[in-house]
Amino acid sequence: MIEFDVNGEPVAAPETDETLVEVLRDRLGLCGTKLVCGGGVCGACTVHLDGVPVLACLTPTTAAEGRSVTTIEGVGAPLHPIQRAFAAFDALQCGYCTPGFVMAAIGFYDDWRARHGTKRPPRDEIAAALAGNLCRCGAHEAILAAVAAACADDPAIDEPPVRVDALDKVTGRAVFTTDVRLDGMLEGVVVRSPIAHAHLHGLDLDPARALGAVAVDLRRDDPTLRYVGDPIAAVAAPTRREAEDAAAAIGVHLEARPAALVPGADPPVFPDRRSRKRAANASEGPLRPARWRGNVRGPVATSFPPFVARTRIRRTDPARLHGGTFVTASQTHTPLEPHATVARWEGNRLTVWTSTQAVDAVRTELARHLNLDPSQVRVVAEHVGGGFGSKLSMDDTVLAAVELARIARLPVRVVMDRQEELTVGGHRPAVHLDVALAVDDGHLDAITLDAASETGAAINSPVGAIPFFMYGGAPRSMHDWDLLSHHPPGKPFRGPGGPPSLWAVEQVVDDVALSLGVDPIELRRRWDGNPKRRALYDEARALDLWRERPREPGSGRFRRGVGVAAGNWAYFVDPDARIGLEVREGVLRATSSVQEIGTGTRTVIARALAGEFHGAPIEVVIGDSELPYGPMSAGSRTATSVGPAAVAAAEHLRALAAERLAVDLGGPVVAEVDGIRHAGELLPWPDVLPRLEGLSTQATRPGDAGGFLSPFTMLHTRLGRGSSGAVHVVEVEVDTLLGRIRVVRCWAGISAGRMWSPITARSQVEGAVIQGIGYALYEERVLDPASGRTLTANLEDYRIPGIADVPEIEVSFNEEGWEHVPGGGVGIGEVATLPVAAAIGNAVRAATGWRPRRLPIRPEHVVEGVGR
Amino acid sequence: MTLHRPSTLDEALAAAGTPRAGGTDLGERRRAGRHRGPVVDLLGIPDLDDLRIDDGGARLGALVTLDRLATHPELARRYGALTAAVGALATPQVRRMATLGGSLLQATRCWYARAGVSCHRTGGDTCPARDGDHRFHVIFDLGPCAAPHPSTTAMALLVYEATVEVAGGEDRTVAELLGDGTDPTRGDTLGTGELVTGVRLGPTDPGEATAYLRATSRLLAEWPLVECAVRLRLDGGRIAAAAVAAGAVAPIPLRLGAVEARLVDGPPDPDRLEAAAAAAADGAAPLPQTGYKVELLRRTVLATLRRAVGLPD
Repeated sequence: MIEFDVNGEPVAAPETDETLVEVLRDRLGLCGTKLVCGGGVCGACTVHLDGVPVLACLTPTTAAEGRSVTTIEGVGAPLHPIQRAFAAFDALQCGYCTPGFVMAAIGFYDDWRARHGTKRPPRDEIAAALAGNLCRCGAHEAILAAVAAACADDPAIDEPPVRVDALDKVTGRAVFTTDVRLDGMLEGVVVRSPIAHAHLHGLDLDPARALGAVAVDLRRDDPTLRYVGDPIAAVAAPTRREAEDAAAAIGVHLEARPAALVPGADPPVFPDRRSRKRAANASEGPLRPARWRGNVRGPVATSFPPFVARTRIRRTDPARLHGGTFVTASQTHTPLEPHATVARWEGNRLTVWTSTQAVDAVRTELARHLNLDPSQVRVVAEHVGGGFGSKLSMDDTVLAAVELARIARLPVRVVMDRQEELTVGGHRPAVHLDVALAVDDGHLDAITLDAASETGAAINSPVGAIPFFMYGGAPRSMHDWDLLSHHPPGKPFRGPGGPPSLWAVEQVVDDVALSLGVDPIELRRRWDGNPKRRALYDEARALDLWRERPREPGSGRFRRGVGVAAGNWAYFVDPDARIGLEVREGVLRATSSVQEIGTGTRTVIARALAGEFHGAPIEVVIGDSELPYGPMSAGSRTATSVGPAAVAAAEHLRALAAERLAVDLGGPVVAEVDGIRHAGELLPWPDVLPRLEGLSTQATRPGDAGGFLSPFTMLHTRLGRGSSGAVHVVEVEVDTLLGRIRVVRCWAGISAGRMWSPITARSQVEGAVIQGIGYALYEERVLDPASGRTLTANLEDYRIPGIADVPEIEVSFNEEGWEHVPGGGVGIGEVATLPVAAAIGNAVRAATGWRPRRLPIRPEHVVEGVGR
Repeated sequence: MTLHRPSTLDEALAAAGTPRAGGTDLGERRRAGRHRGPVVDLLGIPDLDDLRIDDGGARLGALVTLDRLATHPELARRYGALTAAVGALATPQVRRMATLGGSLLQATRCWYARAGVSCHRTGGDTCPARDGDHRFHVIFDLGPCAAPHPSTTAMALLVYEATVEVAGGEDRTVAELLGDGTDPTRGDTLGTGELVTGVRLGPTDPGEATAYLRATSRLLAEWPLVECAVRLRLDGGRIAAAAVAAGAVAPIPLRLGAVEARLVDGPPDPDRLEAAAAAAADGAAPLPQTGYKVELLRRTVLATLRRAVGLPD
């Protein structure tokens, strides 16, 4: 045995080639340490070995022999200053990377304090020390501030955290699906297609069963495999390694078929009407009908007024036409918690723990799939380690875990590894865009956009919708095309269609401004009819960042430039969202099936209630389909759906409290936000609640003043009146010698009304900016042209932003214009990321005189484009 | 699965299996199912992490961690290109675990080999990158495998003409250890029953001008598109001796003789450096998608030279 200490306790591990992360998570149940990349890139598994941060996923147990290991569970009592600072500064969102970041930051803290005492460390030193940790939500800006404050003994680190689950996340106590451990639980793996297009002739599961594993066929009703990674079967065994060995033993009899590995080319992925029903939906909206020609589907045309824009563009003098061709890359969601599910059957009742953005929708979908009554299916997601649109439906891990658990009569867990996550976990399709603007005397005369999305085995990529609703009343025509191929299906990704369409349109608008000699913000203000965005333009134009920008491209090696871009997003709301409220042991307990994916949903509900019950202790219990119906986290709808429902429930509970106390106390009782007024006295809520034990209610999200835009509710969704806006101003520094672009500063202006929780909302906007920087500069899914395999199947080759790449970000919320919405505001998660890449493109143009047309803007493109 | 845990060098040489030091490379490949079979854990062998340095040179044990190399003040004073290079690679956590020996002998980063596609490295007899996506591959096409050598450490050691100590075999130079790039199945020449035990460096002159730079898209923690290490001896306003190496451009790290020749005997002024750097890609034959590396190599060499002699970036 190999002996060492873990958090002060002696531990003996067998002499195998296991690494520390298996010992910690699987043998000791210390699940605060996360396994994400498995390759030493992301730092989520960071622990201390003799006080020094190392990677548990790569540290052989032999390296720990005779030494002491400290995990996140070993540092939290009392909370370390780094943990307090992370909580106080809201330096986290989904929380999945947080334990690793905290452990790395404690290492830096110890080192810094030993060398410099309480001097405040500079940003670049912190970034260098934390360069081995990745965060997908984009909490970096607050992490940098938190670490600096902790090192400097800044009293701000002892401010109470706003995010209600912050302490659970900084201590590693928060339980994610990957951390669920049930008695007797088996580990499942999915067997996936090794080739892009094949017919599955037969499946011999017996070799796996001979090894003692449980195995299921996942293709009973569809023998056509349409991409590398398409699920074929699933296998479960007591350990993951045993399951992998059993999976390797399965006989998979495939007949390879010619594959469409060039998007849009033949042979068709879905050759007939029946097979087309199997095409995944790359959007979060309903399918829009369109014509199929082989692997080309479209156009889905949105034009207003009909026929005018294209004719006008055709007839416009070329001198007054602006536009061009733009290309974007495919961006992979890669949430740090992978797709993961634990399934347990008890008789004909099923409980599923799954990492999802849609607890209730997954329950509905699963019940339908299994032909069960929804009441027989329970879906739980207490904490979700990021989603970004990739976790909106019942995925492979759900199907595999449920089927395996049914046969095994034991709980089964299926967790995608990072290679699976980066292959089939989801991606934003790459898009080719042609855009044309006719401009007459400074006015926008017409706009057309043709967008062809590489959707893989999916359809319905919406790209034209975002600019369709911008820039006032000029005739416009947007055509969306899907180019299908035998590649993994595209999925909706944060603001589906928005970033690519704005990458093209907002750069062309910039070109128009340049050619007219007009301030680009002034031109947008003139063209954009949206009064809320106009307020943002005014704010942006007054910024020092904008006013003092260099007006001409620079000439040295390092050139700075400032760019602007705008975006809009529709206002979606779930009018069925409910919040339950109950007084339990003197605590106001709010319940909803809604999930927390890092956006601060628990905090939104808690703050909505805190505003109605001053001083009351509040508990928020969510992420369980047994609780009152809550919305999915999609379309930026969550806060504006649950916040008003929470207020409505609170108002009703106050009324009920007054009724009950009127009986108990006698005489008239008035319930106010501060407490109960009775006989000239104010009894504050903390004192009153114990008398109200068991009092409960539920309320549905009230409607908007003046109603919604869409006449009826479809799929729990209504379109509300008004659209949210974003105007981002970005400063870049371009190293014209070696081609690196650094985003130095970003001002993010958001017009979405009042924020239910401004602190967590700010974090979400910062994260949106950082994801946008990844989209603009680093992220690109690459597939092998010969086989359709994903080459960027690890976090070294698929590059998400690191902490050293993060600019100083200032977030400004414009609160005007949403008075018709209860609570006065709408969602921000999507609108905040839409214009980032376009703003960076415009800033690069301003810095260098060269306009990038292809994403990501890589060093080799700068070297080629800018020259010396 | 067999885990050998030798406690002496002789036992290690006799054990059958893949040697493992820090485990940062092998551990990843095993987790991904790219490597199976017995492992020989080297951590129990005494004294392999010795580090000695004095006026006569330095000896760095094979198990010295990269972090220790990168943060060693005396090493930085005498072998600045090495410590700068090592400090720039991977991540802080990896540098604390990864070792000098492992860094020299790590497996290729080619995304085809890492994905387990059949190729020269994985037991096959083709290079799928050549007909596939090879944007990160070589411009000096020396052998059937088109992947660049991954070792930044080896590249930096080239400018110090280091000697690699091999137990169970002959000591050899770094260039000899890594071979000539024509064997597509491997990135080194170490035979069965041979282990790298350390690296010897000759003395350096005080005041040598050194620098290391890598071209990347992100600021930190990224494999280089192109990298360069420079070591110059300046004497009375002239460059008396020059060693310039480049990585990520060939199946092995390269000394850039043409650049060195144009530097020696000249003044370290911007024009001379520019003229020398212009020769950095002489002899390059880029693949269809790696043409950009030709110019990027020249520029990276120029930027590294300028940094070495203290010219502004």
